[in-house]
Amino acid sequence: MGNSSISAQAASTSGMSVQTLYRKHKAIIVALLLILFLFGLGGVTVSNFLSFPQVLLTIKLASFIALFGLCQMVVIAAGGDGLDLSVGYAATLTAVLTTYAMNGKNEKIMLAIGIAIALGVIIGLLNGLFTAYVKLPPLVVTLAMANILQGAINVYTAGNNITGRPSPILRVIAAQSTGIFPNILFLLVVVAILVMIVLYKTKWGLMLFGTGANERTAYLSGARVKRVRCMSFVVSGVLASLIGLLLVGNMGMAFKDMGSNYVMPSIAAAVVGGVSLSGGNGNYVGVILGAIFLQTLTNLLVALGWGDAGKWAGFGIVLFILLIVYVSNRRKR
Amino acid sequence: MESGIVDPRRAALKKYLARPEFSVLIILIAMLAMSAALQNNFFQPKSIVRNINAFAPLILLAMGQAIIIISGGLDLSTGAALSLYTCVLTSVMKRGDPVTGVYALLLAFVVAIATGVVNGAGIGYLRIPPVIVTFATSFIWLGAALFLRPTPGGESVQWFKSFYDVSALSQAPAAAKWLGSILPPAFWLIVIGVLFWGFLSRTRTGRYFYAVGSNNESAFENGINTARVQMYAAIANSVYIFLAALFFVGQNQSGDARMGDPLTLKAIAAVVVGGIALSGGRGSVYFAIAGALIMSLVNKIIFFANIPYAYQTLVGGAIVIFAIASSQAYTLYNRRSTSRLKGG
Repeated sequence: MGNSSISAQAASTSGMSVQTLYRKHKAIIVALLLILFLFGLGGVTVSNFLSFPQVLLTIKLASFIALFGLCQMVVIAAGGDGLDLSVGYAATLTAVLTTYAMNGKNEKIMLAIGIAIALGVIIGLLNGLFTAYVKLPPLVVTLAMANILQGAINVYTAGNNITGRPSPILRVIAAQSTGIFPNILFLLVVVAILVMIVLYKTKWGLMLFGTGANERTAYLSGARVKRVRCMSFVVSGVLASLIGLLLVGNMGMAFKDMGSNYVMPSIAAAVVGGVSLSGGNGNYVGVILGAIFLQTLTNLLVALGWGDAGKWAGFGIVLFILLIVYVSNRRKR
Repeated sequence: MESGIVDPRRAALKKYLARPEFSVLIILIAMLAMSAALQNNFFQPKSIVRNINAFAPLILLAMGQAIIIISGGLDLSTGAALSLYTCVLTSVMKRGDPVTGVYALLLAFVVAIATGVVNGAGIGYLRIPPVIVTFATSFIWLGAALFLRPTPGGESVQWFKSFYDVSALSQAPAAAKWLGSILPPAFWLIVIGVLFWGFLSRTRTGRYFYAVGSNNESAFENGINTARVQMYAAIANSVYIFLAALFFVGQNQSGDARMGDPLTLKAIAAVVVGGIALSGGRGSVYFAIAGALIMSLVNKIIFFANIPYAYQTLVGGAIVIFAIASSQAYTLYNRRSTSRLKGG
């Protein structure tokens, strides 16, 4: 019911172009409506659900999902059924290794970033080589990579305790707030603007989307399809590792499975945000909205006492329904 | 790179050697020899029983996965579905009441068919890429399993032990106990799996699995109901996962919402190592058994290499990706060389 009144409102303000506007930004509009629906539902059933600090907290938690969603968006956009299941594990491994290296000192932050980038490049390159050049399904390869990374984390934690603390500067960025606004939101806005510029205004972005949209055309136009796909995994790996630093900053410490729970939401956020799974397009604003939707859903389910079971089943069902809506390609007889 | 006239017999031999099945058998024999050399009592009855018990779940899961892969799908929800079935079984059963075991069996079988139908609908009718749709459903199964059993545990009736060890059951007839000490229930579960595929592969649907998997479009244009065929493949897969769940509940007498997670990738790896193409339409379900044996024997050899426990996930993951990548590279290479032999 709320949906129709809002779209009617939109129609009255923007007149004739609303149809083209709707068609162009369908996923974003749907995501917004879904978020409003959940807020409405939460406001009615859970007390304090719509208080301003609570909403800001939701958005803060969602920003981590949104950042992981960027990894997925880049890999998906390159086409070839790309998806990266190793992002959460790359983040955890970076987190575990860098807290030890940083040990609560600001001057070690560059070392930590160096470790993160090196790890990300290695992980991403392996993912990219196996998918783009050996032609294995990305989900299988990155799932295996996730296992390997979890194994590496197990090895490290079996031999050493996870010690050390993040640099204070990471705490400032990821955990603290300016006034009432969490600092991570400013970071997310900066990242979003950078992503928009790189993807829509540079030749790299064009090459990425071109490869995803039509492999053959891109190849004939001079794009090296395999290399572009491989590089998309490298970008995803590096981003995931850097997000690991932010996770440590937010938590104040590293632990064994701090990143793995973000893998599923990051993919779901990309799908909710209208990133086409066959590649070739994607709007980061949609992914951010998708992340907010998923975090709100989690909050609602937890507040209603459904806990972990409800959260995972909810994510699964949402993803399944959206796949039916966006990806399904039924034959018409 | 022969030049001139090619001896047709040599060409035929070369073609035969280039079949993935051949290398699978060679690797399997090498693995068996290596394991036998490392473990002195490898061929003694007790150790054979122990090995069958250790290998059976992966063999069953790999056969199911093979069917769905051959029909052009892939199942990332295998492990989650397995966990869900164990949780359903152990939630329905009450320890002191044998008849609850029958209810549990029936209900878990219905759940198994339902999960297969959902996966099959996603892959076949809705035509969503199989990997992503089963990724989504795996979280639905996980959520449902956590709902039933937030922490590992649950109850099981006494007679369910017969799916793991007949001699643990006091009222079992002596003949069954004797048979169970040589060929454990796990072996008979595999036999059921083999017979099931033996039957299925002789039906029209069984042959359609290959047609749909190798070329969905032309199968459709030839009048095959591809959606229904892929649905049947997903349901058959669920039956194999169900058999594996029976084994696990018999063994552990409990359910666990996360126990199956590591098995998904191992099952896929076993299928690929068994020479079945991930692109579908090619390979033999029986060779998935060989693939599962190879993967299990590799794990056994790692175990004998005395690698510390913490390293096992790491090494296991590395072996999986190495195995998949080398099989894929081998297949790609051979396809090229056989097409050259044909003059294509």
